[in-house]
Amino acid sequence: MAGIFDFVPAIVLLPFVSFLVALAVGNRMPKGGAFAGIVATAGSFLLSLATFFTVSQGQTYNQTIYTWAQGLDGAVTLEFGLLIDPLSALMLVIVTLIALLVHIFSLGYMNDEGETGLPRYYAGLGLFTASMLGFVVADNLLMAFMFFELVGLCSYLLIGFWFREPGPPSAAKKAFLVTRFGDYFFLVGVVAVFATFGTAAFAGSESFPHLAEQALAGETSVNTFGFAAETWFTIVGLLVLGGVVGKSAQFPLHTWLPDAMEGPTPVSALIHAATMVAAGVYLVARMYGFYALSPTALAIIALIGGFTALFAATMGVVKREIKQVLAYSTISQYGYMMLGLGGGGYVAATFHLMTHAFFKALLFLGAGSVIIAMHHNENMWDMGGLKEKMPVTYYTFLSGSLALAGIFPFAGFWSKDEVLYETLIHGLGGSPILLVAYAMGLLAVFFTGFYTFRMVFLTFHGKPRSQTARDPHGVRWNVKGPLAVLGVLAATTGVVNMVPVEKLLGIKGIDFLHQWLDMSLDGLTAHHYAELTPYSSAYIGGEATTVAIGAAVSLGLAIAGAGLAYVLYNVPEPTEHTDKLGGIKTLLYNNYYQDEYQVWLANSVVRPISRGADKFDQGVVDGVVNGVSSVSLFSGSRVRRIQTGVVSNYAALLTLGLTVLLLGFGLLGGWFQ
Amino acid sequence: MVPPEYYLVLSAAIFCIGLFGILTRRNALLFLMSVELMLNAANINLVAFSYVWGNVTGQTFALFTMALAAAEVAIGLGIIMVLYRNFGGVDVTDATTMRW
Amino acid sequence: MMIEALMAVTFAAALVVFVAPDEYAGRLAAALSLLPVVGSLLMWAQYDASGNALLGGDIAFETDFVWLSLGNLDVHWFVGVDGISLPLLVLTTILTTLAIVSAWTPIDVRQSQFYGLMLFMEANLLGVFTALDFFVWFVFWEAVLVPMYFLIGIWGGPRRKYAAIKFFVYTNIASLVMFIGFIALVFGLGDSVSSMRLPEIAQALRADQLGSFAGLSADALKLVAFVAMFLGFAVKVPVVPLHTWLPDAHVEAPTPASVMLAGVLLKMGTYALLRFNFTMMPDVAKALVVPIAVIAVLSVIYGAILALAQQDLKRIVAYSSVSSMGYVILGLVAYTTYGVGGATFQMIAHGLISGLMFMAVGVIYNTTHTRMLGDMSGIADRMPVTSGIFVAGAFGYMGLPLMAGFAGEFFIFQGSFQSTVHSAMPLFTAAAMFGIVIVAGYLLSAMQRTLFGPFRFDGDYEVTEAAFHDVAPLAVLLLLVIVLGVDPDIFFTMIQQAVNPILETGGGL
Repeated sequence: MAGIFDFVPAIVLLPFVSFLVALAVGNRMPKGGAFAGIVATAGSFLLSLATFFTVSQGQTYNQTIYTWAQGLDGAVTLEFGLLIDPLSALMLVIVTLIALLVHIFSLGYMNDEGETGLPRYYAGLGLFTASMLGFVVADNLLMAFMFFELVGLCSYLLIGFWFREPGPPSAAKKAFLVTRFGDYFFLVGVVAVFATFGTAAFAGSESFPHLAEQALAGETSVNTFGFAAETWFTIVGLLVLGGVVGKSAQFPLHTWLPDAMEGPTPVSALIHAATMVAAGVYLVARMYGFYALSPTALAIIALIGGFTALFAATMGVVKREIKQVLAYSTISQYGYMMLGLGGGGYVAATFHLMTHAFFKALLFLGAGSVIIAMHHNENMWDMGGLKEKMPVTYYTFLSGSLALAGIFPFAGFWSKDEVLYETLIHGLGGSPILLVAYAMGLLAVFFTGFYTFRMVFLTFHGKPRSQTARDPHGVRWNVKGPLAVLGVLAATTGVVNMVPVEKLLGIKGIDFLHQWLDMSLDGLTAHHYAELTPYSSAYIGGEATTVAIGAAVSLGLAIAGAGLAYVLYNVPEPTEHTDKLGGIKTLLYNNYYQDEYQVWLANSVVRPISRGADKFDQGVVDGVVNGVSSVSLFSGSRVRRIQTGVVSNYAALLTLGLTVLLLGFGLLGGWFQ
Repeated sequence: MVPPEYYLVLSAAIFCIGLFGILTRRNALLFLMSVELMLNAANINLVAFSYVWGNVTGQTFALFTMALAAAEVAIGLGIIMVLYRNFGGVDVTDATTMRW
Repeated sequence: MMIEALMAVTFAAALVVFVAPDEYAGRLAAALSLLPVVGSLLMWAQYDASGNALLGGDIAFETDFVWLSLGNLDVHWFVGVDGISLPLLVLTTILTTLAIVSAWTPIDVRQSQFYGLMLFMEANLLGVFTALDFFVWFVFWEAVLVPMYFLIGIWGGPRRKYAAIKFFVYTNIASLVMFIGFIALVFGLGDSVSSMRLPEIAQALRADQLGSFAGLSADALKLVAFVAMFLGFAVKVPVVPLHTWLPDAHVEAPTPASVMLAGVLLKMGTYALLRFNFTMMPDVAKALVVPIAVIAVLSVIYGAILALAQQDLKRIVAYSSVSSMGYVILGLVAYTTYGVGGATFQMIAHGLISGLMFMAVGVIYNTTHTRMLGDMSGIADRMPVTSGIFVAGAFGYMGLPLMAGFAGEFFIFQGSFQSTVHSAMPLFTAAAMFGIVIVAGYLLSAMQRTLFGPFRFDGDYEVTEAAFHDVAPLAVLLLLVIVLGVDPDIFFTMIQQAVNPILETGGGL
């Protein structure tokens, strides 16, 4: 029976076809190939929905569909396969929906603004979507890595879309290079996984998380290269984590992401909400069964996440450009997801991944709408008072902002609260390191509330502070439509997982996402992961009390941050209050000099080393080669002088030679004895 | 019968005269004559050994050598003619254009 | 007789082109060079053998008869292919045709001689990859150098004489060292071999029939011969520190010659290493694993760091060839299916990709007459198609998945990481893998500076999109790279069949 799963490859292939179409005949099509992309992503979205509903009936799919390299005589065979379980089905819907909305929005942002090179743009979007979808459905680590890299390529192409200017190519290079650095560790991890387990499959009884579990239980043995099994698994897990840290822009490899704002705004929405940055976190969720086995790896993930959440949030406080604020909020929010994963909250992190996809796509598209209105001026200090002029943008943006700040009852509140709650109870249950991460995450809530509403007030409230803000450019349906869809989603998606309500009011069965993720294949369920993680839970008072306290604290902090922003910036003529921070502001504004040290590493360490190596190569290595040749040339030039051209000299030499030979033979032959 | 050493001494003497001529003379004609002397010294050796061993191969070779010597003289004289034309004399030490 | 026909056609084509008038020579050469392409593809389609030609496996398209009798060592005319040489054969013919087409624009003097020499070189390369008798093989091996010497020396850049002589003398001395090593082995084998046929020698060596020779015990002789042959072949590969002839040769060579040099001639070195050192003397190779792996890692990292410092596009690609060939050495010494098989696959992949990159640089050079990074920027504005393919090729070089380079590199990493030859192999692998970061660094920087940014060009030439026949070979190569990357089994299956007998232990992981 040809079930819906037979059409899953089409989800990936449709955007790929749109890439080919846009590339080949895009400049002969109306709108530069946009419609091909829209049709393709719409098709993918519908197929994803169908898949989603099939999965919701309890079906899963784990099938190899293509043999990439057939290993003979016992060598491992490398394959591509599809793994459709609740996690990937959910992600498919999110990615295709946002890709579709981004395509539509691009009509307004790119076509209506008269950009050139649109076929290239839509080709890039198509390939980007296809790569991400391929990554989402991957059933093994190698396939995941391959599409992960393709995602990186697409981000390079799209961030560098305006290649005629100096900034975007540089930002694109940085994005690819920094994530490549992370991917190096990932690739070593992939190779190590193959060498250790002989397979890289995510699911099934022959999958590497399962084998690792068995190996730790002593039921099977794997090649751990002389380490204790747990140590080796931690090493492998951390190697793979390198790729995650790079792509999901976690400290210290986050520096590429703010620069990536050089790309077109819809691309930023796609990168931040659904594709590239999400890929890292998704990967950890995908192979969570492996990470759950290693307490050290989990603790490191939680610490990185918590630290990044706080670290990025503080930088978001002082930025002037609207997209820069959003960029740092992205880094910060992915920090929360990492925190959730590291803290044993697999469902919570997935939940936050989902809600964040909606509200961050919304915020970027809203920012794009503002940028259209402002004639591509992104400086918030030139805006103000846009509320009346663009109500649709304002109210949807507000919805996204409330979600981002984590204000009840918007989506972000539920997911962020659950992340923090899981971390808290597991931290109380005997993992003090999680409490440290929790504290950082909690503190970041305050900053999030502050910078989010600072952005909202500066952009939309008060009086217009420039001519363009007084008379903004209008936007059309193709901008407002996607905003409206996402605005509703950002406000409401919290209902899929209202755990606090369940715990507080005792209403059973409204933790839909928990149930959803429990429907996965054996060994991939949320339940199983909860058993695997090394954490135990403890509560302050009872469970309900802890829930209430956690929610109250985080909501209180968020409102406090938002309230501070309200007091400081919701005035007709706001001033830059962050200037009062003095040196700290400079530090924050320069991103803690993270870029500087990385640029310094590249320019002042690597470049001189390479120049030195070049000098060494030219001087010493090649010098020896040329030296050998000069020695022979020099000796040749000396020895040739016996060729005097005088016949008599030759005859004399001849005679001499004969005499010497005769004497030599004579002496050796013993004639003279 | 004359012992072979006599022939060898004679041939060595002639060879050395020829060699001396080549090493000391600068006139190309004398050069050529000296070469002929050396060739004939070799011929004497051939004939002498042929006589001693009772084998005519040596004498045959001596005949060959004579024929070759004739050819060689022809070429040699030709070279000397060219030498004279190009350098205005037959001094072999003047023609040093083929050195390094 | 397929192989003989292939070579005969190519030699004949070389002769015909050599005497053809200059104005038709390029077209004629391209047309005639399609014959070997068809022939080699036909061979690939008909190929159904398996196993290693040297170790008693099937030899496809085999011809074997006594050619010269030299006392107790006969010289045979012995040619044939197996899964290792057939892909290289296909690579050679395809790359030659494309290189000839890419020469139409830049070569404007003595065309018929140029194309004649290209075809002559191709014919000899076919000989190198098919000959299975040492004597025959060595004749072809040396004969390849001659046309390349003239290609660099006549049509090259300003320092062409220096580069050509350096290339010729360096590689020739290396051949001499290798020759001595091999001949010592043959003498050491003494009466246990009756000819210089490689399978006979390989099997005798693997059966431990080596005797002592020239005062050396069998083991010492083997070691000395291994080292001598390794050094001889290593120059051709080239590995650090024997690489310095390569950048000079590449920079001075005309683009089509660079394509052949990087695409095929370097593979002669690794092919010979695989055929001779690693097939015939696995015990010595395994004993020397640490120095060889160190050399491989050094080539990868040092070559990449040098590429980082270059200002000339062609030098960048040249040094990155040193880097990429280091992976091949690492794969060979791993002695696993994926290691050695991946190394063989990487020869093909790198042949295509480096050919693509050199051609792309050449196309830009045809237009701008400069290759220096500082002389131009924003070329993509004027040459969008060329730049697009350049970017795609560069990503191929960086090992982007679903392109051939990734397949080759991943196989090698995979194979060498789990190699049991030495316990430090995972560390060597991880160290070599860092090359994928550096390669991204220098290629992205180079592209950012030349292709992107505001358009600026300091020369007096008008920068416009290249002609169709300049871009077409690039597109074909790119297509091949992607096809091989999506379906590496096109070659990888036959490669594995030929490689596995070398490993003795079967496939392993």
